[in-house]
Amino acid sequence: MPVKEAVEWVKKGKAYAARKRFKEALKAYDRAIALDPAYAAGWFAKAEIAAEQGQFAEALALCDKALALDQNFAEAWSKKGLCLFSLERFPEAIAACTRALALNANDPTAWYIKGVSLDEMGRPAEAQEAFGKSLELEIILDMEAEKKRTGR
Amino acid sequence: MIGNIPIAKPVRKFVFHAEELLGTEIVIARDREAPLAGQLIDKFTYPVENDYIVFPAHYVGLIKDFIIAKQVMTLLIKGAAAKRGEYKVLSFTEDSVYNGLRQIYLDALKDEAKKEKKLPVNKLIEMLFLLYLHFHEDLNELPWNPVTNTGVYMKLPKLRKTQLYYLMKEGKEDMDEMIEQMEIIPRRYFVLSKAMFYARDYFLAKTLPADELMPVINIPQMKKFDHLEVKEMLTTRWTHTAWYQSKVFGDSMLTIMDTSIVNDWNANPDLDYYYNLYRIIGRTTDNLLSYMTMTGWFVWEPVKHMQDALQKKDEYEQKALRRIFGDLIL
Repeated sequence: MPVKEAVEWVKKGKAYAARKRFKEALKAYDRAIALDPAYAAGWFAKAEIAAEQGQFAEALALCDKALALDQNFAEAWSKKGLCLFSLERFPEAIAACTRALALNANDPTAWYIKGVSLDEMGRPAEAQEAFGKSLELEIILDMEAEKKRTGR
Repeated sequence: MIGNIPIAKPVRKFVFHAEELLGTEIVIARDREAPLAGQLIDKFTYPVENDYIVFPAHYVGLIKDFIIAKQVMTLLIKGAAAKRGEYKVLSFTEDSVYNGLRQIYLDALKDEAKKEKKLPVNKLIEMLFLLYLHFHEDLNELPWNPVTNTGVYMKLPKLRKTQLYYLMKEGKEDMDEMIEQMEIIPRRYFVLSKAMFYARDYFLAKTLPADELMPVINIPQMKKFDHLEVKEMLTTRWTHTAWYQSKVFGDSMLTIMDTSIVNDWNANPDLDYYYNLYRIIGRTTDNLLSYMTMTGWFVWEPVKHMQDALQKKDEYEQKALRRIFGDLIL
């Protein structure tokens, strides 16, 4: 179990990050990590910010730290896939996304990154299949969000 | 291209194509606050150094790619016209506002005479300019829609399923628009507004071949559309509505679109190609304005003119109202 206070600091950090206040968010995540260095979500939260800012090599290293602590961290595998794609390491990106999808088959981003990576590698048929899955999930999420927004 | 967003290869190529053709750099970014259709902030409209495309942050895959592609197509068309010094938009002047408001007022009087529950005078007066601005916005946007959609459909076949979903979603939103004001605005304008969207939907249903756009049947929420062709999907909602008048006017507008939007979509996509699309949009707009007897309502002017006009809109409204109502007002 993670230290309770560390969980709270990650929550606080996410609230900052949602408002694009990345400096404050990073401070909060660092506090979480200081309190509980084995808390994978703290490292992953830092990875999300690094990726958002286009620092994919750093984000990748942070994902790896999170995954070293929790091998079944689906979101971290998915983000790792995104980082690897952005670093043009397509075969590794596919592997990371495949792992993410084994843990959570309903992740539209992992399907999409797998699709774009396969496309880059000249495997269009497999890419189309992945894109199809990604689109299905994205549409379902979009329709649910629309229903919430409009109440219909 | 500037941005940290993963984008599918064909769309990325399309972005590079636009950058090369227009000599620009496109910044692509996600934004929680972005409108659902995304937003293009371009050098031809705003005082910015780069062209920006922002899309809603919750779109992570192909929907995002489609939004980007459609905005890039819009940018190419605007840019091609701007490079020839011919990029204009529908703007308005003191006189054109008067023309529009006067016509709406006369139509509103006819409607009010038949109504049991009359609209309070202050509400009626307030409605005139709001409705005028509504048509100004719609006519500046709607004729672009069938052209950019067809363009994306032809250039980016891998996005077709996404495009279908997006069109259905967009069509539904456009149908819902104005419903709350249905009892307030003159019937003629409600019908004309709906008819424009009806024509757009039918045009796209006819133009985008059905076999490519079969629905994604694995999605439970879309099951009701299983085995339907795109034409049925896009048009069912219209045939099931009671808005028969929208259909009558819409059919005429569809003919306008059919005859105005004629293009060799497979021609070499150079600046002339996109400039031709701009001319098609202009022609479609003019023909729709003429059909709706709104030719005196707006003027074609450079963007700056419209931006200035929007700054002065309150003044134009007051002057037009004074010309219509004389001393009875203010």
